[in-house]
Amino acid sequence: MMKQLFIKSAAVCCPEVALLAALDLRSSDIDKSLIPAGMRRRTSMTTRMAITAAKHACTQANSDTQNLASVFASLGGEIQVTDALCRLLPDENELLSPTQFHNSVHNTTAGYWGILNKCQAPTTAIAAADDTFAMGLIEVWAQLQQEPGERLLVCYDELWPQYLAPPIGQSAFACAFVLSTETDQSIGAITMPQVSQLKQQDLKVDWVKLTESAPAAAVIPLLLALQDKQSGLVPLNIKAPIWTSQFEPYFCESSFWASKPKFAAKA
Amino acid sequence: METMENHHATIASVAITAYSALSACGIGNKTLYKSLIDNESQLAPLSLFNIPFPAYVGEIKQPLLAIREQLAEYNCRNARVALTALNDVDGGVREAIEIAKEKYGAHRIGVIIGTSTSGLYETESAYGVLLEEGNMPADFHFVTEHAYQATARFVQLELGLTGVCYAISTACSSGAKAIAAGQRLINGGLCDAVIVGGVDTLCRLTLRGFRSLELVSSEPCTPMDRNRKGISIGEAAGLLVLEKRHADNAHTMKVLAVGESSDAHHMSTPHPEGRGAALAMKNALQLAGLKAEDIDYLNLHATATKINDSVESRAVFSVFADSVPCSGTKGITGHTLGAAGALETIITLTALQQQFIPGTQGLQELDDDCQCQVIKAPLQTKNMQIAMSNSFGFGGNNASVIVAL
Repeated sequence: MMKQLFIKSAAVCCPEVALLAALDLRSSDIDKSLIPAGMRRRTSMTTRMAITAAKHACTQANSDTQNLASVFASLGGEIQVTDALCRLLPDENELLSPTQFHNSVHNTTAGYWGILNKCQAPTTAIAAADDTFAMGLIEVWAQLQQEPGERLLVCYDELWPQYLAPPIGQSAFACAFVLSTETDQSIGAITMPQVSQLKQQDLKVDWVKLTESAPAAAVIPLLLALQDKQSGLVPLNIKAPIWTSQFEPYFCESSFWASKPKFAAKA
Repeated sequence: METMENHHATIASVAITAYSALSACGIGNKTLYKSLIDNESQLAPLSLFNIPFPAYVGEIKQPLLAIREQLAEYNCRNARVALTALNDVDGGVREAIEIAKEKYGAHRIGVIIGTSTSGLYETESAYGVLLEEGNMPADFHFVTEHAYQATARFVQLELGLTGVCYAISTACSSGAKAIAAGQRLINGGLCDAVIVGGVDTLCRLTLRGFRSLELVSSEPCTPMDRNRKGISIGEAAGLLVLEKRHADNAHTMKVLAVGESSDAHHMSTPHPEGRGAALAMKNALQLAGLKAEDIDYLNLHATATKINDSVESRAVFSVFADSVPCSGTKGITGHTLGAAGALETIITLTALQQQFIPGTQGLQELDDDCQCQVIKAPLQTKNMQIAMSNSFGFGGNNASVIVAL
């Protein structure tokens, strides 16, 4: 049985600079140049955010994106596209856009990622409400246990219409990790996610509050542990039962993280 | 009869200790078998809601069980369909989970449910209220009804389970990918048993969306037929209990492997040569340590759109030539989207158990494009041991499930 998964890279894409500054997290805005114009026109904010984070993580890890299997984890996925379509449905005469329709599926980002990278390796799209990040890690863990190598894990959610499930969707956030069964060039390691005895009141209030409005922000304790090179138990969700992994930092001199050791808020 | 352990397999098989399907054919494995052996279409004009064009659908007509009061916030058609399949005594899914709980503990049993639209049917009605009154109705619960994990979480709470729980939503391959995830969770030691499957229900968005892509037939669908005119959408729940193999379940049917791939071509149109589809089938064979000739029956994805069927034919021919008998069963059940991979795996298990090859309801004259051995009418057979079921979805997301007696 596999004891640890090694983290080769991590990247955040969040269009809200103030939010990142408050957290002291290094991030990038959506990088439009990563998606060709023809495809970009058809993609949503959520897909652009997720692809930006994924591309940056793969670049840092020097991953072969044409052969990298991936897991896309999101509570709501293409919620803005779905919302726009749902607004048309009460009128029976409204015609739906075929492009919008096929872009409303949960694996839209996964599909565009594959097309963009000419990648025929398997990809999946999962959802688990508040546990989405924890379950994404579990899916990656099970995949790597079956077939060792690397996996891309992308965790993301965009801004939501305020009437759907407030406060969810008040902030948009995407994060990507390249995870590996090999320690080589890794920046940290995590153990298998397990249910812990932690309760929500044991968690940091700021993070819980942010994660309630941006589910993908569940990744933040792991990002901060990576940034601070701080070993310890990392919570992966905010509502009991709380899933945790034990994190151990690695000091890889040649990594992106060694040359830029700390996330710095984008000016 | 038990399949000999295959030493070429790169992954361990898992036991299927119970399964049940609910579809337009009715509840349970016996009604499903009857529709299959009679090759009887269950497609009929849509009655659940109005749409501005003619369409035949595979609608569940049977009364659905009610969600209990404590789980009222999960109440939607998708959850009721799941509950009705779960409580089917004949299929025994709930009973198998109760036994598994005793054996392994509630925290060691996972729930992985595939769906494409979850509780969207109710959300559509809620939007009607939103547009009229400016607010969502008071009983609208987005996260517990509409969100993708809602049905998986409902099943987990209904069964009193506390382990791994998530939804897979990769359009029409969701149900098959849930089976893949369940097998991996068991083999990876993360779970001892997993309830897997797919649950999807009819809704306006999918009917009108597929219509916008000009893929909906106005008549019952005719898979692989030269005059096929598109899909008939259906709804279903297909649930299976997977467990690690041991002496107690040595004689159950098994999931040998699920092969997965991506087309990397287009969001809604398959690669013209079917390269992703072929890769999924090859990956499944490789993981199971099998050769193409080891497959005794192939349940096709066969949606009855022009392009999907011809591309799948090409992909199947590239892997199997014309050696494997195959058929598509969506002329009976409709295309049940996120449930299709699970429902059709159960159809494939039924074929193995009853030793027959299902027919391809609706097929009159095989398309010249198709060089595969497509079976029109059900065929009694013997010595069938191993079979495959294909599922391909939007985003070029492909999965092929191999099961064995």
